[in-house]
Amino acid sequence: MMDFLRDYHPLFDFFLLNVGFAFSQQIVLRAGVFSVATVGFAGLGAYCSAIMVKNYGFGEIPALLCSMALGMVVGFLLSLPLARVRGVYQAIATLAFVQIVVALVRHFEGLTGGALGIDRIPRLIDTWQLLAIVGVVVYIIYAIGKSGVGRAFDTVRQDETVGIALGISIRRYHTLAFVLSGAIGGLFGGMQALTVYVIEPGLYGFNSMVTILTFIVVGGRGSVLGPIIGTAVIVALPEISRPLAEYRQMVLGALIVVMINYLPNGLYDSLILLVRQRRAVRLDKQAKEKVNAVACA
Amino acid sequence: MIAQQILNGIISGAVYALFSLGFTLIFGVNKILNLAHGGIFMAGAFIGFYAAASGLPFWAACLLAMVGAGILANLVDLFAFRRLRTSKHGEFGTMIASIGANMVLISIAQQLSNTQDFRFPFDTIPISFFRVAGLRLSTLQVAIVILVGVLLILLVLYLYKTSFGRQVRAVAGNDRASMLLGVNPDKVYFQTFFISGALAGIAGVLIGLLFNSINFLMGDTYLLRGFVIVILGGLGSIPGAVIAGLCLGVFQSLATSYLPSDLTEVIIYSLLFVGLVFRPNGLFGMDTSAIGAVRR
Repeated sequence: MMDFLRDYHPLFDFFLLNVGFAFSQQIVLRAGVFSVATVGFAGLGAYCSAIMVKNYGFGEIPALLCSMALGMVVGFLLSLPLARVRGVYQAIATLAFVQIVVALVRHFEGLTGGALGIDRIPRLIDTWQLLAIVGVVVYIIYAIGKSGVGRAFDTVRQDETVGIALGISIRRYHTLAFVLSGAIGGLFGGMQALTVYVIEPGLYGFNSMVTILTFIVVGGRGSVLGPIIGTAVIVALPEISRPLAEYRQMVLGALIVVMINYLPNGLYDSLILLVRQRRAVRLDKQAKEKVNAVACA
Repeated sequence: MIAQQILNGIISGAVYALFSLGFTLIFGVNKILNLAHGGIFMAGAFIGFYAAASGLPFWAACLLAMVGAGILANLVDLFAFRRLRTSKHGEFGTMIASIGANMVLISIAQQLSNTQDFRFPFDTIPISFFRVAGLRLSTLQVAIVILVGVLLILLVLYLYKTSFGRQVRAVAGNDRASMLLGVNPDKVYFQTFFISGALAGIAGVLIGLLFNSINFLMGDTYLLRGFVIVILGGLGSIPGAVIAGLCLGVFQSLATSYLPSDLTEVIIYSLLFVGLVFRPNGLFGMDTSAIGAVRR
């Protein structure tokens, strides 16, 4: 058991960090915002924490708070122009944002170490702390989902016109989604910097963006468990067998195409839907039997 | 010196435009943001390389790359997009599916090439330079300009002068109405994907020749550039893609000699961001309100 824990310790850290990114991505998609800015927020958060801790000797708590605040502020600023743009245009604009962050990080070598990144960052976050923060985020996402905000998000995603008719301000909820996504993304970016020793711009580019999207596509974007399951599946895939690791890209790509075509709601959400349908059918049957019984009597 | 840079920029811009034409065509007609376009472009370069390396003449390699990439684009359409066309997850779904298809294409190319860089055989195109008004021009550059011009004219003739082209434009405007008038949208989708793939394929070969390097990751860079071009030119607009492609080529060529490369990236993507937010219909202000970039 101890060997198992020691061997898979880094993998578990990696999983927890990615669950955080997955939630940051999920919350915008849930609100019907097609943003892929999560890696950009994560990059800003990571560099913020790394620079504060390494260059200025701050502790982990102020560093992480700053990372989170930076994510929130940038998320808010992004939402100002982007809440009026729609659909794929939001995706392209946030993709541009991600590229700008990476290019800026590369450019300011004095501060960020350029393409080489920052190394020898002290590890200030333990696995149990990561786990605790993931727990808090899960709770917050769950609470939001059960509140009026969550219902507003769902309405806006499913049909904007209905949302407007019900008096939901789309712009306000899109802004809220951007801010939440930025906060979670920045926080987990900061935690990544304080767990993995080395960060470099490549961690926050196009490929990571695609990977994070995959978590949501595979898991599902409507529930709390979806992103966790999606992340677990994708992180575990290369560990299960060697060929899967070698052809990781191919398997992931094919998985995305198949999932979006045949299970567009993701593994978990589809399962929930299926269970609900079954239950509805069963209740329907019971009700009919009852009516028949009454009619016979 | 500056004139020479501008000339080089126009030549790479012409290839950018060729790449972006297919990208913008798919969006205009199918309303799909096809991120697999970068992968198809790269596949075209690979097909062209294998053809040239096996001793085929250059024109045959080009033709093979175009047909191969066109068929590949149709396969992507068949496996990744066909089912999603009628689903309510269309806009989100097709973009995600195209990312998946792109990953598969890149991964296949990586396995095929063992992560190596390929180069076209030395004598694929006879290399000689000549001087025009003090500017250095190679046969390759002349060939590229002529090829891009011819393909562009053919595309415009096809879209605006033939019955097929009228059908394509009808489906782009309103697929349901055109279906009522007896146009088969599936046929149109098939054609546009083939054309877009073929244009990407030849662009791949030309870029491979121009920069003398072919590798499995070459698609991503051009895909990101393609975003900038089609947004600044107006998504779905053909003249916009050509003008924006040329502008980007010239800008980049000038920027590489006068600016640090990362700063160039920052400027290009900031342009994309600002362009999207303030002029989502493209810099040239064409009426593309039907594409629905902004909420009413």
